[in-house]
Amino acid sequence: MKICIACGMPMESISDYAANDPSRDYCIHCARHDGEMQSFQEKKENLVKFIVRTQGFDEKVAEKMAESMMRKLPAWKAFFE
Amino acid sequence: MKSLKRQIQKENTRKKIIETAYRIFSEKGFSVATSVIAKEAGVSHGSIFVHFPTLNDLLVCLVSEFGDKMGESLHLLAKKDSIENLLAEHLNVLEEYEAFYFRLISEINLLPNEAKSTFVIIQSKVAFHFSNIMEREIKKGVIKKLPTHMMFNTWIGLVHYYMLNKEFFSRPNESVLHRYKGELLSNYMNLINRESEV
Repeated sequence: MKICIACGMPMESISDYAANDPSRDYCIHCARHDGEMQSFQEKKENLVKFIVRTQGFDEKVAEKMAESMMRKLPAWKAFFE
Repeated sequence: MKSLKRQIQKENTRKKIIETAYRIFSEKGFSVATSVIAKEAGVSHGSIFVHFPTLNDLLVCLVSEFGDKMGESLHLLAKKDSIENLLAEHLNVLEEYEAFYFRLISEINLLPNEAKSTFVIIQSKVAFHFSNIMEREIKKGVIKKLPTHMMFNTWIGLVHYYMLNKEFFSRPNESVLHRYKGELLSNYMNLINRESEV
C-alpha cells in the first residue's frame, strides 16, 4: 500500500489513486481534473479551504496549519528548505 | 560488527526512552522531568540527551509518533458507511489512546508549536472522513442541513468536555469514554438527525 506523497493519505484501492492509476504516487484528492498533481500553491489553498470549512479555524491560522502539514510530506519538503 | 551492535543498542535505547516517556506522560502529564523518564527506562540521564537534545525534541517526537499511530487507526473511519458508525469508530480509537490523548487535549498549550500542529493533523484526519460522510448524508436528507464545521466542533466539544472533566463523570481509573460512549453517540445522533425534528 502506498501513501500519497502530497497529503499522506494511505491509498488502498485503485479509486484512491489519481486518475485510477496505481503507478502514481499521489491520490485522487491531490490531483487536478486532468489527473496531474496539484501545484504547491493549489494544494495549500485547498487545504486552507478544507480546514476552514470542516473545522471553522481562522483563515490565517488555517494557513499556518496547512503549511506545517505540508512541511512533513515528501512532495513539498523542498519548498521549505 | 562492533559498530552494527552499537547501532542496534542505540536504537533499542531510543525505543525504550520513547516507550517509557509515552507511559509516564500518559500517567503524569508533559511536565515530568526527564530524569524521571531516564530512571524508569533504566538508562542514564545523559543518554536521553544523546537522543533528544532538548525536552522539546522528545515531546515533538513523541506526539508525532502518536499522531502517526492514531492516524493509522483513524483510517478505519474511511470504511464506514454512516455517520453513526463513523462516530462509534472514532470513540473506539480515542478509547484505545485515551490516556495520552487526554494529556494532549488538557496540556496542549504547554506543547511546542510543532507538537500542536500534530494535534491539528489528527483532528483534520477525523474531519476529512467526518465531512465526506456528513455532506453525503445531508444530501440524502438524513441529517439536518447545518455547517460542517459546527457539526464537527459540536461533536469534538462534547467528547472533549467529558474527557477533560472525567473526574466528575467517572470513577478514578475508569474509562470515561467507555462509560459514556453509547449515551454521547445516541444523543448526538438525535441532535443532528432530521427525523428527530419536531
